[in-house]
Amino acid sequence: MNAIFTLLFLAAAICLLFFNPELFLSTVLDSASSAASLCVALLASYAIWLGLMQVWEDCGLTNLLSKALKPLCKRLFRTDDKEVLTAISVNLSANLLGIGGAATPYGIKAAQLLDKTEHAEYASCMFFALNATSIQLLPTSVVGIRASLGSGAPADIILPTLICTTLSTVLACFLTWLCLGRKSKKQAKFTKIQRAGAK
Amino acid sequence: MNVVFACIIPILFIGSFIFASVKKVKVYDSYTKGAAKAIPLVVSVFPYLVTVTLLARLLTASGLEDKILEFLAPVFEATGVPQEIAGLILIKPLSGSGSIAVLSEILTRYGADSYVSRCACVAYGTAETIFYVAAVYFAGIKRKKLPLAIGLALLSYLVCVIFCCFLCRFL
Repeated sequence: MNAIFTLLFLAAAICLLFFNPELFLSTVLDSASSAASLCVALLASYAIWLGLMQVWEDCGLTNLLSKALKPLCKRLFRTDDKEVLTAISVNLSANLLGIGGAATPYGIKAAQLLDKTEHAEYASCMFFALNATSIQLLPTSVVGIRASLGSGAPADIILPTLICTTLSTVLACFLTWLCLGRKSKKQAKFTKIQRAGAK
Repeated sequence: MNVVFACIIPILFIGSFIFASVKKVKVYDSYTKGAAKAIPLVVSVFPYLVTVTLLARLLTASGLEDKILEFLAPVFEATGVPQEIAGLILIKPLSGSGSIAVLSEILTRYGADSYVSRCACVAYGTAETIFYVAAVYFAGIKRKKLPLAIGLALLSYLVCVIFCCFLCRFL
């Protein structure tokens, strides 16, 4: 990110220097003030949604969701370890509800624990695929920004977003399974045969 | 159809509050506690918003953006993705707050309800910040296949961006 930023910034600034140097300061100031007003819009939408999410957490909805996700995780990650499954399901349900801050600590924990499981290579990659393309049930900040910019129907992007985010997650999981999952199944079969032979 | 979507959010609030009351949660206390978290969150995001907005405006003002877009135009034409959202597509895998800044630039410039803006909104929601997740979650872990996993995630992200622009024509 540092390299990309410096490179693009210098390129743009040098271009401006040659063609229109007076424009530099006004552009810079203008962009900072529009970032500030964006922050105000975000603050409003964050406050509303984080409040609701706290209510969800306090009344046990978040826990309920993570419990519901557990059986799915068990099949997807091919592990029975309870600690791993809990960390993963809390992480996934926080992602589903759009609580990014709550997802990160559990995500890091889950990634470290997954590293020690039987099918570590496959399970880690699957976990990455799920997180990198995570399904978000409510695109809260987008709806908030649209509303603040005077959209007629700020919520009408919910359905297409839901379709696309689900599709991207399913696709990423399928591709990961295609590239890594089948191999590890074969290996499991192979080790089974070996074990049977040894007996 | 639009009425249905407009109803989702109020129904969500009403349902949650009724459920919380049944569970004997102090809704007022709980809600204010959550809302308070918004301030530190915005404070942590603000520096990134300023920096990326700055870069985006400079690129536009210097005319560099137009040149890059001109260069990429055939790709966008072939896939049906409006080239106005190119910047968003490129920055989304790298930075979450950066992409919010770019998204809001697009919404301001083209109007919140235009086709371009709707594409941008859906593209924004399609995937997470892929490289950021890879860096944070897998910081201390060495997995040989992680680059492959990143590639696969990027591929499905791009496929879905193309699909979402197609979808936005109808929905």
